[in-house]
Amino acid sequence: MKELQDLAHKLLSDGAVTVVMGWEQGPRGVRPAMITTAANSHRLIFDPRCVHNLATYLNPRRSHLKSLGKPAIVVKGCDAKAVAGLIRESQIKREDVVIIGVRCGGVVRKPTQAPELTTDTVSPRCGRCDAREPKLVDHLVGPALPEPPKTCSVDMVARLEQMPVQERWAFWREELSRCIRCHACREICPMCFCSTCVADKSRPQWIETSATPRANLAWQMTRVMHMAGRCVGCGECTRACPAEIPLGLILAHVAQSVEQRFSYRVSDDPTLPAPVGAFKTDDAQEFIL
Amino acid sequence: MTEPNESFEPKIVAFVCNWCTYTGADLAGTSRLQMAPNVRVVRLPCTGRIDPLFVIKAFERGADGVIVSGCHPADCHYTAGNYHARRRFAIFRDVLSFMGVDTGRITFSWVSASEGGKWRDVVNETTERVRQLGPFIDYQALSFASAAMPKGAELPS
Amino acid sequence: MNSKSLSLAELAALVRDLNASGTSVVAPVPTRSLCGADYRPITELNQATLNGALPRRSLKELFLPASEVLLRYRLKKNDVELLPVPTTFTPQVILGARPCDAAGVAVLDRVMGWDYRDELWFGRRAATTIVSLACPGFDGVCFCHAVGLNPDASLGSDVLLVPRGADAYWAMPVTDKGEALLARGTFADLVEPAEVTAFRKAAEEKVAKNLASLPSGFHTFMAQSFDHPEFKAIASRCHGCGACAAVCPTCHCFDIVDEPEGMEGGARRRNWDFCATCKFTVHASGHNPRATQNERFRQRVMHKFSIYPQRFDAVLCTGCGRCVRACPAGMDLPEVLGHLYAAQAAGGVS
Repeated sequence: MKELQDLAHKLLSDGAVTVVMGWEQGPRGVRPAMITTAANSHRLIFDPRCVHNLATYLNPRRSHLKSLGKPAIVVKGCDAKAVAGLIRESQIKREDVVIIGVRCGGVVRKPTQAPELTTDTVSPRCGRCDAREPKLVDHLVGPALPEPPKTCSVDMVARLEQMPVQERWAFWREELSRCIRCHACREICPMCFCSTCVADKSRPQWIETSATPRANLAWQMTRVMHMAGRCVGCGECTRACPAEIPLGLILAHVAQSVEQRFSYRVSDDPTLPAPVGAFKTDDAQEFIL
Repeated sequence: MTEPNESFEPKIVAFVCNWCTYTGADLAGTSRLQMAPNVRVVRLPCTGRIDPLFVIKAFERGADGVIVSGCHPADCHYTAGNYHARRRFAIFRDVLSFMGVDTGRITFSWVSASEGGKWRDVVNETTERVRQLGPFIDYQALSFASAAMPKGAELPS
Repeated sequence: MNSKSLSLAELAALVRDLNASGTSVVAPVPTRSLCGADYRPITELNQATLNGALPRRSLKELFLPASEVLLRYRLKKNDVELLPVPTTFTPQVILGARPCDAAGVAVLDRVMGWDYRDELWFGRRAATTIVSLACPGFDGVCFCHAVGLNPDASLGSDVLLVPRGADAYWAMPVTDKGEALLARGTFADLVEPAEVTAFRKAAEEKVAKNLASLPSGFHTFMAQSFDHPEFKAIASRCHGCGACAAVCPTCHCFDIVDEPEGMEGGARRRNWDFCATCKFTVHASGHNPRATQNERFRQRVMHKFSIYPQRFDAVLCTGCGRCVRACPAGMDLPEVLGHLYAAQAAGGVS
């Protein structure tokens, strides 16, 4: 991706940034890359295997990356929403990061797959995409790409919504039985940046740390509530989960709920306030007696 | 799912705001209004203080149903607490339902300090609705099962 | 006992026999997972997939559950009553374990019996018979050969099965427990046939290509390499999510917590903990001796390839490759090992 590589080369040679966070080819597939010298900028690539949301690396808790200096970060539209989220919530300053947007035509599910996009290989979340060209950028690279193919995967969110409530309970009981509370979902999420997570608090303890059905359900429901209106739908939590729990389903359902109720979709405009934390005096209250 | 049991007395926990609903409940009491005795009241300064974790904890610890109640919009003692709560609980109700909890087990209401009668109605209606749904055994059973083991490998834990 | 021949039908009968006598059978079962399988109980052989799918998690959790009660306590008026948990368990047979997973269990026996004999671990070990299924070499990631094992290793197994075509197995008893299991059926003796030897050799050659063996003296080199520049930026892309430790057959670190059960008391539990996570070594004072992800990842490599070998004469890794497949950020242990081999060859110590 010459345009991207040349831009990175220039930014690093000029000293505008001291690290470019992008994607590179690793031994097994695409993986994130921290390019710190102009000479290495040729390693940067962009193709449908660039699944990772690199915005997590801007999280101020990552002290080993802060020490690399001012970053440029390569973002797809969904990733740009996360960068906007971090700016909106005062975790980073807009002027402290150079944002290189790439035009995206969809990604596959795993970075180790082949880069061909078909109805079978395309990530289901790309079907909900509204940001194939990120707007929160200092530079925008890449050719305009066609729409991603429509996934042949079943829309599990819709299917779950149509199930009787008892079946949904059984579904989540089964899925969450594999949760081991590794919190990979939290560590990889760009919007989970709390220095002390509610699940780590012990005085008082609201959510036990043990991998028990009771605590697992409390953890997932709480994380989803904390993500409401903030989740950018990047799917990284689902991808990171070593137990392959379909976490994205709950988050997608909540995003739909937020959109229906509050006419709000997460965007890469950091000036738009998040919906939970704001309110309208005439918000719908059909569920309240 | 258990059969509705006419002799089952549900345990209902109510998280209510101090300025409106708590006072309204008090009024119901001083007015000698007859109502179901199943509700345990937890008083908070404002519905805006109510974290969804309180509701989760109530179910974990044996509540069969939960009531969350506060001041009517525009009447919040702290100006906007109930507006925040309204948005938060709109979403939380959807989350609970999506995770498989029957929303019949949770009631949200605005009950003002002068609405003793409304409080009685909320209490009675919720109690009956939860009585029909039966004890919330599913949630309580979560505390006694083991997780992260192959299903059926009933090794003691 | 001689090695045996087992047909699929005989194996199926053995599964039924075990279930009928109260011994549960755990095997890789096809699931929706992208890896294809999980270790789950089976009542019939045809519920299992013995054709090479790699279960997404290792056998570790059958002996060290992700959350395990160590004791319960009940609060009395002026006293606390302690209720111990049972340390004897329902017998079970694991059928079709991956050799890398069985080896992981054996490697962990060392630390579990080191300065204190872990009753729960060994209670479950005593109740379990492990029947491994020799692997044809899973994919380009595995490196069991590099850490001194093989796709047909019998370390940790009680019986080793090797496939013969689609519907038969050659079974080699490894331990007394394995012999006792095989004695439950009337299986014909069979000296290792040529096709089995060929299968095992081909598998070994396949995996040996993936990564060269650990050089001699590797753990000593590692012990001296704490400040090696190789570790300076080794983990820039690591999120510290812990997925690697979660799926690893040999990671065993745990946290101990006390949690209430009702108003009358609670349980003391041990839960899996993950050294990759940022809070793993945070002290009560707030100081964190491994404050950066690079330091945490270095420790992970050191523990597996230096500290554990020095103490227990065994590498804390069986080369199954799950850490590579599970990592959402493309961290790659074989790649790291390759760089460290080169550093050792170059005589480089910081």
